[in-house]
Amino acid sequence: MATQQPLTNPSPLLIPCSYLTTEGNKTGSWRFLRPKYEEKTSPCSAACPAGEDIGRVEMLTAQGSFKEAWETILLENPFPGVCGRVCYHPCEQQCNRREFDEPVAIHILERFLADTASRYELKPSLQKLESKRQKIAVVGSGPSGLAAGYFLTLLGYQADVFEALPEPGGVLRWGIPLYRLPLSILNQEIAQIRELGVQIHCGKSISQELLRGGKSEYDAIFLGCGHSRSLPLKIPGEDLDGVKNGLQFLTKIRRGEVADLEGTAAVIGGGNTAVDTARSAARLGAKVILIYRRRRQDMPAFAEEVEMALEEGVELWELQAPVKIAAQDGDFVVTLRHMQVVEKNRQKRARIKPDSNKKKEIRVQHLFKAIGGEASEPWYDPPKKKRGMLRLSDCVLLHKSREPTLVYGGDLVADIKSVAHAVASGKQAAIALDILFNEGLDAVRPKLQTCLVGDGPSISLETYMSGPRSLRNHRVVRYHDLNTDYFQFAPMITQPRLLREERFQSFAEINLKIGASLAIREAERCFNCGLCNQCDNCQLFCPEIAVTRDNNPRGRHINYDYCKGCGLCVVECPRNAMILEEELLCDRS
Amino acid sequence: MRQVLEGSHAVSEAVRLARAQVISAYPITPQTHIVEQLSEYCANGTLDARFLRVESEHSALAALIGAASSGVRTFTATSSQGLALMHELLHWASGARLPIVMAEVNRAMAPGWNIWADQTDSLAQRDTGWIQLYCENGQEVLDTTIQAFRLAEWVNLPVMVNLDAFFLSHTYEPVDVPDQKSVDRFLPPYKPRFQLDLANPCAFNQLAPPNIYMEMRHNIQMAMDEALTFLEQMEEEFESILGRRHGAVEAIQCDDAEIILITSGTVTSTSRQVVAELREKGEKVGLLKIKLFRPFPVNMLRERTASASKVAVIDRNFSFGASGIFAQEVKAALCNFPGHPPVYSYIAGLGGRDITMEVIENIYWLTKKSTAPENESSWVGLREVDHAVGQS
Amino acid sequence: MQLDNLNPEHMCSGHVGCPGCGAAIAMRFVLKALGDKTMMVIPACCWSIIAGSYPQSALKIPVLHTAFETGGAAASGVRAAQDIKGDTETTVVTWAGDGGTFDIGFQALSGAVERNENFIYFCYDNEAYMNTGVQRSSSTPYGAWTTTTPGQHWKKLRKKNIVEVLVAHRIPYAATASIAFPEDLMAKVEKAKSMTGSRFIHIFSSCPTGWGMPSEMSIKIARMAVQTTIFPLYEVEDGLRYTINYTPKGYLVNEYFRLQGRFKHLTEEDLDSIQEMVDEDWNLLLRKAGISLETS
Repeated sequence: MATQQPLTNPSPLLIPCSYLTTEGNKTGSWRFLRPKYEEKTSPCSAACPAGEDIGRVEMLTAQGSFKEAWETILLENPFPGVCGRVCYHPCEQQCNRREFDEPVAIHILERFLADTASRYELKPSLQKLESKRQKIAVVGSGPSGLAAGYFLTLLGYQADVFEALPEPGGVLRWGIPLYRLPLSILNQEIAQIRELGVQIHCGKSISQELLRGGKSEYDAIFLGCGHSRSLPLKIPGEDLDGVKNGLQFLTKIRRGEVADLEGTAAVIGGGNTAVDTARSAARLGAKVILIYRRRRQDMPAFAEEVEMALEEGVELWELQAPVKIAAQDGDFVVTLRHMQVVEKNRQKRARIKPDSNKKKEIRVQHLFKAIGGEASEPWYDPPKKKRGMLRLSDCVLLHKSREPTLVYGGDLVADIKSVAHAVASGKQAAIALDILFNEGLDAVRPKLQTCLVGDGPSISLETYMSGPRSLRNHRVVRYHDLNTDYFQFAPMITQPRLLREERFQSFAEINLKIGASLAIREAERCFNCGLCNQCDNCQLFCPEIAVTRDNNPRGRHINYDYCKGCGLCVVECPRNAMILEEELLCDRS
Repeated sequence: MRQVLEGSHAVSEAVRLARAQVISAYPITPQTHIVEQLSEYCANGTLDARFLRVESEHSALAALIGAASSGVRTFTATSSQGLALMHELLHWASGARLPIVMAEVNRAMAPGWNIWADQTDSLAQRDTGWIQLYCENGQEVLDTTIQAFRLAEWVNLPVMVNLDAFFLSHTYEPVDVPDQKSVDRFLPPYKPRFQLDLANPCAFNQLAPPNIYMEMRHNIQMAMDEALTFLEQMEEEFESILGRRHGAVEAIQCDDAEIILITSGTVTSTSRQVVAELREKGEKVGLLKIKLFRPFPVNMLRERTASASKVAVIDRNFSFGASGIFAQEVKAALCNFPGHPPVYSYIAGLGGRDITMEVIENIYWLTKKSTAPENESSWVGLREVDHAVGQS
Repeated sequence: MQLDNLNPEHMCSGHVGCPGCGAAIAMRFVLKALGDKTMMVIPACCWSIIAGSYPQSALKIPVLHTAFETGGAAASGVRAAQDIKGDTETTVVTWAGDGGTFDIGFQALSGAVERNENFIYFCYDNEAYMNTGVQRSSSTPYGAWTTTTPGQHWKKLRKKNIVEVLVAHRIPYAATASIAFPEDLMAKVEKAKSMTGSRFIHIFSSCPTGWGMPSEMSIKIARMAVQTTIFPLYEVEDGLRYTINYTPKGYLVNEYFRLQGRFKHLTEEDLDSIQEMVDEDWNLLLRKAGISLETS
């Protein structure tokens, strides 16, 4: 055996021992489905005529960022304080949480945010676009006119609002009773609109001449004059002396021109003005009977208002059509015909017909007509059909080559006459004009289509101005799209109110404030449908550690080098703010 | 210091002197005395080690795999069935390159139950990547066990020290037990080449695909080759400190022998006497003791048997369908060398049957008389059995 | 949850687990809670593969891969070595699948916890031998299809109640946890980490591949298992004190079963009898937790 050199060191080892991580394996190549962050539209937003980004508002509220939440509303609606009180909140009807337990109290939260802003005298930081040369006149300072002025100003235009009455606000000031909308709230929000740069000229009636003048200083005129004249009942005796008009009655109350009422008052009608009239009359001491041709469920008035009216002692006579009014010893005798339902239609109001000529009479001391209104001047209404006319969902545009473009908005064109629709109208008009000025008439409709909230018709200014939320998909998130495993049952907050007895002592606001902790708790109930609220489930559950936090506005990104496309992040996203796409359809890079 | 020690306790003393740190074992006759003594040492603080009283031999070795991977000196002892139960982990220990030392008391495999000496248990584990050493007496057991740690830690392979059941494990002999200082000189504290380490977190024993598995296996063979060289070097060092050496093989009067008997374990001692007596009668007989079975000392074997005309291998073990296992190895070692002597295989002493001087002498005469090996193996001392009785 | 979630990762991307692998999620959560002063023993299981092949490792802690049945024993050895080295800081853990825990590794586990070895044993349970291609284990639930319980020969035996077996050893801590309840899971790991002696955490880890369901359903299914009381979240201290950590919503079992291919053969009658079994087990647990059935 050969002599060997003494061993000084053992020979090298080759053992199964790691010296690298697995990060060299780009397991993303396994993927055939690709998860992506894609925010969608919440059903509440889509249902909001003003297109408020409610999911985001509630997210910010839940985080305690009240100012940001309030500003988020202001981007779409200059009247959170007003709408937080008088809006009929169709948003809550569509709230996905309704299928889980109860809807989120969006309405109460909107008011809370406005109240908070007011309490701390917050000034919104709203970005105005650079000034444009065009000037726009706005006729009428009701909600649609003020909204038009507001949005036009945000878009960089000079807007002059003309109001015939000595104070701005239109129906908000003169038509809505104080127990629903205190004056201070309205004044604050109008002041804010003024501060933004909207010029409001009160006590200035506008003549038809303004519309025609070829040398007008205005490039466009927004007509938002509203329906201030009552519709006639078209029955004998309706013009008898002393038969009052509901809207005028409400205005007079606001002016302090109405004394207490004694005896019984009848209010004819089923809309909000009728209900407001009834409730106001009740507060002034009358025993009130509300007379309506159809049934309670057919009333155009907001159900909640009807309910409160009944609570306050207003009597509702359904299926009673007035056919004659007669004067008798200073009282009125109203002859009523019984009606019956011919056809029940769940979506629409019931069709009715007289019930075999059955009649009754009622003797009242006060009689109010409130069956709806119309424009006080015929030229306020848009013409039937004309060249250059564009009928949009919330306004009608009439473009003329040598004259100012006319936009008819607000109640003049609205099917549903609500403040939110008026805001929608003003916003649509402002954006439509901006498109018209920049790209011409033909671009208006298609371009508006791109800023729809969900399927529309409401539109978003933020989307139009390409704000961060403009990236959200128009697809509306439905209940089954959500992963509700992450939500706990929690009852909806109830609106604190004055006791019934307290309400009759004055016109003080019925609905009371809620505190911040309650508001946060309520806002936390919001599913934030389609919206990333940074819950981090995508990051938490990723088996590949392929979701990484970063500094982009979304706060995280997916590392497609490793993402195997399992889809867990998409399913575990409680709010459907992600999607899973087929890999082949998109870029692998 | 010279003490009269049981073979089992020679192991225990060696483990104590080697300062093993984690010991794990499951009792099996005839291994028990080894671990009882160590248990005592751990309990009374003589040995600063953790003793894991596990629920099976499998777990005993598994625990040591965990401990050795954590960079400490480890020891276990077992026998027969226990070793068989460890089989899977024998591979694991060598594949993971862990210097675990095991005392293996050679006992027959069941059934029928048999607790007596037989090497088939450990030889059946020859392909598991363990270095295997077979001891002849108490002194060799003690010295070899100490050396086993040094060897294992150098080549990063586990070492099995084998001793025959009862003939060695339960036999008292005078044994020189070295002092701790000398042993410490020979065997410094274990310096692991790798270990589970928070500062350098690695994963061990993970998936090894075809592109690297073979190289890893070859690396083990390289270590086996190195073990042969290192063993010699290590024995020199041991001798310089403690004055003894045993050798991978030991040749007794082989230089001029015509017939060389090849043995392992305790049979060697008896054979030494037989060879001495035959030499007195003028027989040209030699004795070759094989201590190192894995790696198999092929070259040494060839050199030591070069002059002989016949070699006779006495196996206290058997590979069914083949022959004695040492005989197989010897044949395999010699077959590629032209003019190598024929190899006779004798099977004796299975299941603890005595291999007396007469048996060994008989093997010598049978070999001398034979012109060529007739069978793969000759079974020596088989009794006449009435086969009809066994059937029912 | 946010707090735990901010803990650093000790596992990295690029591992080779199937898409939607529950075991990968389980590992991620556990390591977040354990921290980097952890040594892990992994007997043969899906994770032997998931962790990557030589020379890679998906885990940023020292890991010892070992033979299938050695989870309890190998960890005992690692712990013993740390003890003898004077290391009291390191948490030694075993990370085993249900096969390595309920079946082949059962003896070593029982031995280790009987000795009250100072370690945490994690069983990530995907209810069959998934790594080898979906063969039944003693953890496979009643009613399940596997490749060795095929067709009409679906498993007609109950799942072994491993936690109760561990509880019978009177170990300091035994708990169930689910990948769908990360907060609870991580809290349990942290609690276990703060204790000494043998601790056992049984983690329900769904397996899209083996259970016949889309990968994106992993968490949903795991959550459903808890909500149906099929896999209740509870813990037992010293083998005596039971605490139910989450009150399930009490969904019917078919809510869980109908989402998985492995149960698709079950008839309404089968589901009814399974519902009975699940109710029986749940009631038994309630009794152990000292909750009377009337008030539950």
